[in-house]
Amino acid sequence: MSRRVYLDHNASTPVHPEVIAEMLPYFGERFGNPSSIHGFGREAREGLETARERVAHFLRVGKDEIVFTSGGTESDNLAVKGAARARGGGHIVTSQIEHHAVLRSCQALEREGFAVTYLPVDGDALVDPDDVRRAIRPDTILVTIMHGNSEVGTIEPVTEIGRITRERDVPFHVDAVQTFGKIPLDVDASGIDLLSFSSHKIYGPKGVAGVFIRKGTRMAAVQHGGEHERRRRAGTENVPGIVGLGKAVELRAREMAAEAERVRALRDRLTAGIQARVPEVRVNGHATRRLPGTANISFRHVESESIVLGLDLKGIGVSAGSACTSGNVEPSYVLEAMGLPLDWAMGAVRCSLGRSTTTEDVDYVIDAVEPIVRKLRAASPVSR
Amino acid sequence: MTYSPTLIEHFRNPRNAGMMANPDAVGEGEDDRCGDLARFYLRVRDGRAVDVRFQTYGCGPTIAAASAGSELATGRPVDDLLRLHRDDVERAVDGLPAERKHAADVVAEAIRAAAQDYVRRRV
Repeated sequence: MSRRVYLDHNASTPVHPEVIAEMLPYFGERFGNPSSIHGFGREAREGLETARERVAHFLRVGKDEIVFTSGGTESDNLAVKGAARARGGGHIVTSQIEHHAVLRSCQALEREGFAVTYLPVDGDALVDPDDVRRAIRPDTILVTIMHGNSEVGTIEPVTEIGRITRERDVPFHVDAVQTFGKIPLDVDASGIDLLSFSSHKIYGPKGVAGVFIRKGTRMAAVQHGGEHERRRRAGTENVPGIVGLGKAVELRAREMAAEAERVRALRDRLTAGIQARVPEVRVNGHATRRLPGTANISFRHVESESIVLGLDLKGIGVSAGSACTSGNVEPSYVLEAMGLPLDWAMGAVRCSLGRSTTTEDVDYVIDAVEPIVRKLRAASPVSR
Repeated sequence: MTYSPTLIEHFRNPRNAGMMANPDAVGEGEDDRCGDLARFYLRVRDGRAVDVRFQTYGCGPTIAAASAGSELATGRPVDDLLRLHRDDVERAVDGLPAERKHAADVVAEAIRAAAQDYVRRRV
């Protein structure tokens, strides 16, 4: 078997063995419905509440401010639509580079009569807090800005933005799916009222996530049914998944700081190695305000997907920054918002490193990239 | 989305990639929506394409289809190449996924354009 290197941790991560071990009993002996009052239900409830405590402790918020959901997309939908619909109408401020879960929730709310301002970003993908300040109107009912961008890794100034929203008394939602458990975030100091987080980006299982909802935040239910999760989210909880999320958070709390440093050094080795070997390369996103494991690299005059396929044939998993889907050119909307010229945007490849990434992996990728790009450029009519 | 072993093989080892000096004909095919581009060069002797070279900018399947298309075209009469159908190219890579059908369109168009260029130059 040839070497396999996974550099797509922003897409998903393998479940940590300790997380699996913690989850297993909840598929079998502790299978009960946590809403049931008998012993079987109580056992499941116990697992659920331990997980809630772990997440709350990690975020330094109240246990009853955590609501579990089925994934980051549901968390964003619940936070954005729930907060907006509770007000009945009004204006929302967001950015052009949010995840589709936020962008399309905002678009759906526009169809319901809400007004939305989509703020631009600068060339490093940063939202300007002054733009947020200027965009807030008397009828603004929500500001929703992501913490870290999944494509380029830029970390937004949410603390500065939170200061503004608090001043103006506007609820503030932060989509932290890509940063939760990777870099610290002080929910209180940042004035955050709603925060989406997920499990499978931090070595927990898929199909489980959550939202922090600050006590007193007005919310409308998005999903109707039973009275689960303090009536914030109807539906029997995914107990094994939630238990796994709780364990994953506990593990991240322990290793997050050291791991961030290690991964950052590897990422910088990767980008420096590629830049030293391959001409006409640029790294997209902010130079320092960036997720430690994320490197979005553009190879000019080469098409993203052909590099991804070339690397895949070498056992390396990365993702295409831009893709031609169903015959349509689709430069990434994030790179487009950053103003990256098309000949750079079309050749963007995202490498995202994680727990399992080693120096040998990084060196293997550097060695693999150079001949692939050279070959593609040699056969390209647009490259000189 | 899965690719055939033939397609992967062509992508991994593209045949006839690169420019040709002083070709007898040149043709291009482009997908306006997707931006993929293929350019084919022909060397023609006694009405046959004896040497075929290509350059492509595009996703993996377009590169593979161009490589397979260049093999398909080599040795064929130019008159045949004028009528080359996209399905001939798709067959040469053992099929394309629905989202990547354009690869065969771009390559067939480029080869036909090169054949037309040869005919034009002869007039």
